[in-house]
This record gives sequence, structure tokens and C-alpha cells, in this order.
Amino acid sequence: MDLGLFVLLVALTGIAAGLVGSLTGLGGALIVIPVLVIAFGVDFPTAAGAGLMTILATSSTTGAAYLRDRLTDLRIGMFLEIATVPGALVGATATVFLTHANLDNALLIGLGFVLLAIVPLSYARRNEELPPAVVPDARSQRLGLRGAYHDEALGQDVQYQAARTAPALGVMFGAGLVSGMFGIGGGVFKVLALERFLRLPMKISTATSNFMIGVTGAAGAGILLAAGFVNPLVAAPAALGTAAGAYLGSQVLPGLSNRTVRLLFLPVVVALAIEVIVRGLGGP
Amino acid sequence: MSDPTGGAVGHRLSPDAYTRMTLILRAGLALSVAILLGALLAYLIVHPTASAQSILAANPIALYLSPGGLVRGLAQGRRESFLTLGLLVLLATPILRVATGAYYFYKDGEREMAAITTTVFALLLVGLLVIGPFIP
Repeated sequence: MDLGLFVLLVALTGIAAGLVGSLTGLGGALIVIPVLVIAFGVDFPTAAGAGLMTILATSSTTGAAYLRDRLTDLRIGMFLEIATVPGALVGATATVFLTHANLDNALLIGLGFVLLAIVPLSYARRNEELPPAVVPDARSQRLGLRGAYHDEALGQDVQYQAARTAPALGVMFGAGLVSGMFGIGGGVFKVLALERFLRLPMKISTATSNFMIGVTGAAGAGILLAAGFVNPLVAAPAALGTAAGAYLGSQVLPGLSNRTVRLLFLPVVVALAIEVIVRGLGGP
Repeated sequence: MSDPTGGAVGHRLSPDAYTRMTLILRAGLALSVAILLGALLAYLIVHPTASAQSILAANPIALYLSPGGLVRGLAQGRRESFLTLGLLVLLATPILRVATGAYYFYKDGEREMAAITTTVFALLLVGLLVIGPFIP
């Protein structure tokens, strides 16, 4: 395929993935990575490297608005990065070793199963905007993992404090591992820990997860870039396209139901997951 | 505002930190997009007959991943080195955010949070400068 056409098609894939990813809150890398492998014949490590660069671009694009609105809890985000960053370093290192050992197919199968796991988890988000009252643990008290914000939609000031920090750190390490190993953001896992264990309000969880995805992505991307697995002629159009799509998604279609888009999107994720597993098993 | 636990009001980083980080995000993204777009277009113009298979077979930035190689490539105006620079700027943006957080925690006298954030910053640098280049 002509390189110019290839770059254009990858960028268009990125735009579509970023648009859908931002509307569903699942991120664009979930689509970009399997499509690069299946439709464009990109090898898995290069696709994962491109996926991590799309995460950096998307997180920076959408993160500024969350920071401006003071919805990102930097204190809690920085605290949890102590678990996600080592997880991402371990995951990306494992990907490099497995690739050198010609075990790319095992990574493809792993990616397929992670995608399949994300489908039910994406429905596991708490449906209430605010968490019930919690009993903070000693670490949360000591580090002051609490805050307050004004919720425009609810028309009230909301206060919160993190609870159960130990299991949250464990889940965050796993989220980092998955992110570094497979090139995805792992936002579903991060939001799960923020909402289910720390018991943070939905808006704070979403914004803080977005902040963390960028930092975790940088940990994995640093290793894959230095190891030569980030090809700019794949990663640049994918990242630029996904960031543009994410921006469009946040600006143009705010009225669209998140749940409706997710219902349409999840079968696509399942189909891609099955396809990468089949490829990993040596299928066509 | 009273605190839900009955203690002092939970405070977050100063508004200045949020402003600074928003600026870093916007500047980092704008700079990386400008460099990547420019270098990508230049690469395509200079290599009109290149195929996707050829660039997938050999990463064109492999020579520019070391600091010396990158500086030499930039000095010679190599498009591949500018592509590498664009990726590095994109990568550096969240790392700079963490460094900014560490600075504000130190400034506010929060030693434990400053230590945590500095550790995260150090781990990010270890991944980029130590683990990645030296994996056999």
C-alpha cells in the first residue's frame, strides 16, 4: 500500500476511534490497536506503541478541560501513580521480552482477553453520581486524600474522601500492567478502583482517571519508544487522528447518550477481541 | 465548607498548580502536534514512492533514538529526527505534569506527597532512560 494512503487511513481510523472512545469513555486505543493489527498488518508491538502514543495525545487533549474545571484530584491521582507507573514499567518490559522471544501471538491472545474483560467492566460503573458516606482509612487521613468541588448539574458543593486505599493500589498496579503490556489506557480499571474502592464521585473519578492515563501511558511509551517499538509513521497519524476525534467527541456530540453509544460500540470491541485471539492462535 | 470526616477542610494543590499544569498540557500538545504534522508531511513529500510495507519493516527513527543521534539528525534537518522529537515532546508532557506536582508539594511543605510524586517522576525517567534503551 502507498505510504500516503496508509497514513491517511490510519489517521481516519484514529478519528473514528477517538470520537467513539470519547463518547463511551473507553478511549480510542481499544479500537486503534486491533484495527492496526487486523486491517493494516501492523505487528503487535508497533500497534501497542502507537496505542500508547494515542493515549498521551487524547489525555492531553481532554485533560486540560478537567484541570481547568478543577475536577482532577491531583493529590489522589499522584498518590495512585505510585502503583500504576511500576505496573506499566513491568508490563512494557514484559512486552519487549515476549516480542524478542517471538511470543507476539501470546500478546495478541492476551489483548483479546483483556478486551473481552473490559466489556462487562464497562457496565460495572456505579450509576449514582455521588458515593454514599465512607469511613476513610488511616492512609487517606494522613495524606489528606479528600476534596470538594461544585457540581453544576446537581447545583451543590460536593465533598469527598478516599476510602480503602490498599485494594485501590492493587487494582491500579494491575491497570498499569495492562496499559504498559497492551498499549491501552486501562481507564475502565482505573475508574473501577476510583469509584468502587476509593468511593469517589463519578466526575472526580472520570477526570482523575484521565490524568492518570496520561502518566501511566508515558511510563509504558517511554520503554517501547526507547526499545524501537514506536514507529512514527504509524503512531503519529494514529495519535493525531485519535486526539482530533476525542476533541470532536467532547465538543460536537455532548447530547448523545453515553449508554446508547456504548451499546453500539461494545459488540465492535467483542468482534475485534475475537479476531485478535484467532490471529494469535495462528488463524487467518 | 465542613469536612465530611469532621477534620480540617481537605485541601488540594494550589490553584497556581492547576493553572500551570493546564498550560503545560496545552503547550505540550500544540508543540508536539505542530512538529509531528510538519515532519510527517515533509516525510511524505520527500518519499512519494515509499510503501507502507517498507516503513513497517524498518522503523525509520531507529537511528535517532539516542540523544547523540537525535541531536545530529536535528542539526542535519533530518525529517526522521523531527518525528522523533515530536514523539518525545508528546511523551514529556505528562512527565512534566508530574514534575510540576512534585514542585508544588515541596513548596507547600507536604513532604510525604512530595516524596511520592518525586518517586513517580524518577520511575518515569528510569523507564525512558534506563529500562527501554538497555533491555537486551
